[in-house]
Amino acid sequence: MADKVLNVRVVSPQKVVFQDAAASVVAPAWDGHLGILPGHAPMLALLGAGSLAVDLPGGGSRSFQIGGGVLKVEGTEVTVLTEHAGDELPADLLAGFVIHPEDVA
Amino acid sequence: MAGARDVKRRIKSVDNTRQITRTMELVATSKLKRATDRVYAARPYAEALRDVVGSLYAPGMSEKYPILRQPAQVKRVAVLLLTANRGLAGAYNANLIKEARNLLEDLRRKGMETELHIAGKKGIAFFRFRGEEMMTQRVDIGDSPTVEDAESLVGPIRDRFEAGHVDAVYVVGSDFRSAVSAPPAARELLPIRPKENAASADTFILSPAGDHILERILPLYVRNAVFTALVENVAAEQGARRTAMKNATDNAGEMLELLTRSYNRARQAQITQEIAEIVGGSAALE
Repeated sequence: MADKVLNVRVVSPQKVVFQDAAASVVAPAWDGHLGILPGHAPMLALLGAGSLAVDLPGGGSRSFQIGGGVLKVEGTEVTVLTEHAGDELPADLLAGFVIHPEDVA
Repeated sequence: MAGARDVKRRIKSVDNTRQITRTMELVATSKLKRATDRVYAARPYAEALRDVVGSLYAPGMSEKYPILRQPAQVKRVAVLLLTANRGLAGAYNANLIKEARNLLEDLRRKGMETELHIAGKKGIAFFRFRGEEMMTQRVDIGDSPTVEDAESLVGPIRDRFEAGHVDAVYVVGSDFRSAVSAPPAARELLPIRPKENAASADTFILSPAGDHILERILPLYVRNAVFTALVENVAAEQGARRTAMKNATDNAGEMLELLTRSYNRARQAQITQEIAEIVGGSAALE
């Protein structure tokens, strides 16, 4: 729990969409929203589709619509690998990334 | 004297050619810049994805998921060759085709069946001329390939691998190191080899279980490998074209210099002769 900030990277196949320090992250995991605070245990989580919110240390927040991919927490590094990241997600893509719990249970 | 007029015509034609090649060089330079930016922008994702796959992949999963199967014996191999739709890029396309031919020859010598999937007019034209059968022929991938292009290209091949129709998949494309160095390379795409001494995911909380994550991520991994190959290929093509056009422009410049010199000589010879004729004529009158 030593570090109070996370280093967040949001990466899509085309480019690094976002890279900065953050106070917390809420990501759309495959089974619901997943909150990450500094000091989180190492984790790998499958992502579904929806809105990713990054709270900045100085207040304020950024949000992205993402679809698919995986989230990795290791130390203070949070990497969001996603197939799509942008201001909005096309509806047909959104449907493609919906994961039914019974598929992966 | 006819010499001077002929030389002048050639000067004009070489000068026109030089203008065209110089324009093409400039176009390639600006496209190369954009293509290189895309190559570098695409690398973090590829690296991070490789990292995740590496840490999740445990031996023993290969029995459960078709995409991870490790064929004991390779009977049939799919080769995906990525070339350009346009030429005038020096030996760029020829090098890629040569790499693919070497690979095919090598595989056939080992007694494996092969099947060809080709993107790019240049590759297709060559193998059609040779009478080779091609399972995929794609000419619709442009200067800024998308993830969707990669998926539509590799999706069917991946399905064939999972179904057991092919036992290995190779991609022949350019290994983009810099604008002037992008040698052709054949890379093994499938089967996915487990990394030796891979970092274990034991210390991670996995949600859902590791093999379920892997099952979802691996198709993305395969697709992204083709996507980066496409992006690198575009950059390599523009780099090759810029070099080829620069050489052509330089050569045209040298030629112009020579031609201008012989034009001046011919013109001078003509003047000298005219003077000699006048002098000779007036000398005859005296």
